[in-house]
Amino acid sequence: MMDAWLRWAMGPLFWTALIFMILGLLRHLALTLWEGAMAYRRAGDKDIPVGKLLGTTLRWMVPLGRLGNRWLFSITTLLFHVGVILVPLFLSGHIELWRRGLGLSWPAIPNWLATALTWAVIVTALAVVVQRVAAKDSRALSRFQDYALPLFIAVPFLSGFLVMHPAWNPFSRDPTLLVHVMSANVLMFMVPLTKLSHMILLPFTQFVSELAWHFPPDAGSRVAVTLGKEEEAI
Amino acid sequence: MATAQKYSYNVEQKGLQGTDKPRRFLAAFSAILRHGNYNVALDTFSRLSAKCARCAAACQIYQATGADEDIPCHRSELLLRVYRRYFTQSGILRAKLFGGFTLTEQCIDEMAEHFYRCTACRRCKATCPVGIDHALITHLARWVLAEIDIIPRALLVSVREQLEGSTGNTSAIPVPALKDTCEFLEEELQDIYNVDIKFPFDVEGAEYVFFPAVSDFLMEADTLMGNAAVMHVTGGSWTIGTGNYDGINYGLFYSDRMMERIVKNVIAETRRLEGRKILIGECGHATRSAWYVPTFGGPDAPPVVNCMEYAYEQLKAGRIPLKDEKILERVTYHDPCNIARSGRIVEQPREILKAICADFVEMWPNRTDNYCCGGGGGTVSIDEIRKYRTGPLGKRKADQLRDTGAQLIVSPCANCKKQLKELCQDNELDMEVVGLHDLLLRVIDFGVPAREPAAQGVAAG
Repeated sequence: MMDAWLRWAMGPLFWTALIFMILGLLRHLALTLWEGAMAYRRAGDKDIPVGKLLGTTLRWMVPLGRLGNRWLFSITTLLFHVGVILVPLFLSGHIELWRRGLGLSWPAIPNWLATALTWAVIVTALAVVVQRVAAKDSRALSRFQDYALPLFIAVPFLSGFLVMHPAWNPFSRDPTLLVHVMSANVLMFMVPLTKLSHMILLPFTQFVSELAWHFPPDAGSRVAVTLGKEEEAI
Repeated sequence: MATAQKYSYNVEQKGLQGTDKPRRFLAAFSAILRHGNYNVALDTFSRLSAKCARCAAACQIYQATGADEDIPCHRSELLLRVYRRYFTQSGILRAKLFGGFTLTEQCIDEMAEHFYRCTACRRCKATCPVGIDHALITHLARWVLAEIDIIPRALLVSVREQLEGSTGNTSAIPVPALKDTCEFLEEELQDIYNVDIKFPFDVEGAEYVFFPAVSDFLMEADTLMGNAAVMHVTGGSWTIGTGNYDGINYGLFYSDRMMERIVKNVIAETRRLEGRKILIGECGHATRSAWYVPTFGGPDAPPVVNCMEYAYEQLKAGRIPLKDEKILERVTYHDPCNIARSGRIVEQPREILKAICADFVEMWPNRTDNYCCGGGGGTVSIDEIRKYRTGPLGKRKADQLRDTGAQLIVSPCANCKKQLKELCQDNELDMEVVGLHDLLLRVIDFGVPAREPAAQGVAAG
């Protein structure tokens, strides 16, 4: 029975979740690029400071020099992101599954590093939530998903660690593996539907903000016409 | 027209009338989204706002009040929730299935209040990991509000006079009064500096057509004399057009529709005089608005130059003769957000000040990371919120100024000058607020001895 569940979770459901995530992200990407292109086409001033925006984008993609005014929170989230990105993609066990399934493979990170990063993710996920609650300003802003997502992201990491280290695992292997795969699948479904979509949109946000300031030359006049205000006194 | 005090600021009666504000707000929002370029930003911001609160620590209002509603991300959400609910498919579907947020008059009042607490200084933009530009949201929200007549009266009457009044400028200065003022300034230059400097009017084909903040003609005589002196010693070809001599553009603060009309008027006057370039006086928002000349004027629009950029280039080229003496007082420099945040005019004024001041000190933080004077986004014109401007909103700037121990604050912006003067008064700071050209005027070597010791505080450097 457990075997069947595992086969389903690691087979059809995994592929469905993965494809859903990829298509969802591609939809975000396509919409953003399309809307951005339309905005650029309509802009009266097409002089976009591309180099500067690229610099800002890259600095935020690798925000080491940008810990700024909330350094503890920044270091916590930075470490969290490093683990979340590296471990799923470069764990040797995961690469082995890709090799068996599709014949694809790429270099892995050492298992000791994967273990360290896994713990980093678990600890920083908890720390993010604690810091969110502890700081008055972030507490005021936080929605349910802001608390739930880091905790939920920690689930596949914790269960993954337990699968990899049976000596530490109080539960039997297969249920733990099922939790691991299922939580990862659910996460993939959630990526395009939540703020996790920043994984594809982040490289474009600086350009998007800039583009919005590049007004179409006749936007004001057209708004006046649409609202029937062309002749209206100020 | 009657005004009423529903918000912290006065609005005209028509801004308070009617029971269908939510419907009108959505109609205006829809029109702006249809014709403007805001959709892509709103979609992106809605999708990935991380709610990390880094912006809170960067915001001088939140630093002072600690109130949740003053967190930039919190404020932006007031508009983003309307966008998500009414202008995205998922929002419309969610509302049909589960109900949830509905735009009410109370929501509109909340926006009216909070989007005018923000000065749109854009400081928080630099701290947002996902690049959300909260000042853009403030800018847009104010435009939507303006289309349902919620506009601070102080801004509205200025724009009304500028676009529909008989004088065509925000300070309602008629041409004869303008000419009288300039004649007076010419006499002052003669009396004090013993030099014959003219304010040229309607010179066709001049290289530069000059658009200062028109309020300078009433309040900043030294700045204007400095402008004229720099043009004089550098042999600059410039003119003031009597058809339009106001660089102020409060459209930037509340309506792209007004901004477009005002910028187009500046371009039209420059073309009428067959001027080659637009020279903007010491004014941050006038400069930033004029940077929209290519947007509204097409590919052959005249280039825009700020007077500090001009002075810096001339000084670098050795065309501004300076006395051996320097300004002795301790001088600090306030970066106006509208020219400094983008990094466009940051070093030029500093280079000038370092060349002419014996004791120039920076306030901290500065340049692109500066704090707003507390009067940005048009709030400085709203006298009824002075207590807020020079209190919580200006507190950070007051602290910065106090720490410098400076006697002179150089602020090359008409709005910042007014705010900083009031800030000094209300916070008992014994400092004088001046323009950059005020100081330049004191140290320019006209080649003749001055008649009066006007350049006080100047000694061998």
